Amino acid sequence: MKHDNMNTEPIWKSWFARHGAKLLLFARQQSRRPDEAEDLLQEAFVRIWRLYGHTGEVAPGLVYRAIRRLAIDWARSIDRRQARENRVALDNPLSLSFDRTLEQDERKQALLRAVDRLPHAQKEVVTLKIWGELTFDEISQTLDESLNTVASRYRYALQKLRDFVPEEMSDKTSASTVEE
Amino acid sequence: MNEYEQLEAELRSLKPLPPGEAFSSKLEKALGSAGNLAVRRLPDAEDSADFLPSVPPESNPLSFTRLFFYTGCVGAGLAAVWALFFYLSNGLIAPSYVIEAEQPLFTDQFSAQVDLPVDDPESPVHGVTLGQLQDTSPMPVMGWSDPQNRERFLRLVDEGIFQRPSGVPARRVRHYYMDETLWSHPASDMRILSTSPREEVIFIELDTY
Repeated sequence: MKHDNMNTEPIWKSWFARHGAKLLLFARQQSRRPDEAEDLLQEAFVRIWRLYGHTGEVAPGLVYRAIRRLAIDWARSIDRRQARENRVALDNPLSLSFDRTLEQDERKQALLRAVDRLPHAQKEVVTLKIWGELTFDEISQTLDESLNTVASRYRYALQKLRDFVPEEMSDKTSASTVEE
Repeated sequence: MNEYEQLEAELRSLKPLPPGEAFSSKLEKALGSAGNLAVRRLPDAEDSADFLPSVPPESNPLSFTRLFFYTGCVGAGLAAVWALFFYLSNGLIAPSYVIEAEQPLFTDQFSAQVDLPVDDPESPVHGVTLGQLQDTSPMPVMGWSDPQNRERFLRLVDEGIFQRPSGVPARRVRHYYMDETLWSHPASDMRILSTSPREEVIFIELDTY
């Protein structure tokens, strides 16, 4: 039999190779602490794959939505814990989630710093639209927001980025001049 | 390209870091048996070579023998088309047109022979009266008891999850039934069983987690 000679590979591996980086970026953007992002992604992915994995193909929007809901749940529990322990959440800049070779490109670095300056709501729309490659309709379903709200947030975010990037570049230039 | 499109293009050029190998193995462990629910087949390198037809380098697919065979087939096809054309154009159709044109379409004789069916509301068979049925069929006409209906569940098929147009995922489950109707005639101990298959599709809305 020919089939006896064939290997099998779980479908989730190829699925995750396609979507893993985008999902991890969104998890990092949603999580309150840098070390939490992988746990968030793992929990969301395992839950969704156990539910729908037998079909062989899962819409990435489901995992994005699960990540967001879990992040909200976890943030609530963290807030309760922090209230007890009187701790402050660590800062989690999104720029750390990109290739470090970008450090040589000043413009791209400025762009990432500008993304970090965006308000959370606008940053998540940009993340889902640009790197998650979702449509506005899918984003509105993922974030439980109206289509108009999502589209407006994206438009405002781009306007802000347009203004922030030159600022970031000039700040960097003046900082390096002072160091010299 | 305006400045916003340029900005979008610049943002897209930034690639997020992929998860590490350690994370993938952690994920595999966390998935457990659920990870192996859907698998795809990967043919081995040797195996895929076996699937390819073994063509010796010297044999050309368009060899002389094959070319001769194909030419023969085309020739036979052309000959058949020519014979058909000759057959049709040599008076086999034209005379029949003439004969048919001379005959009236409807005649009194034809209409007199037609025996229109009689509709008897009491009869279970359309076009046959109850009396005709009783005369010609060994089946008794009167004395049947009320039919008994029964729904027999055959099987359930879970067709999995699909995304509804509203975006809410739903599980589609299909139920297969067999509807049975039994007529019985106690006097002659005759029974007639009618079965008809039926299926029901049920959508169960699911939460994302």
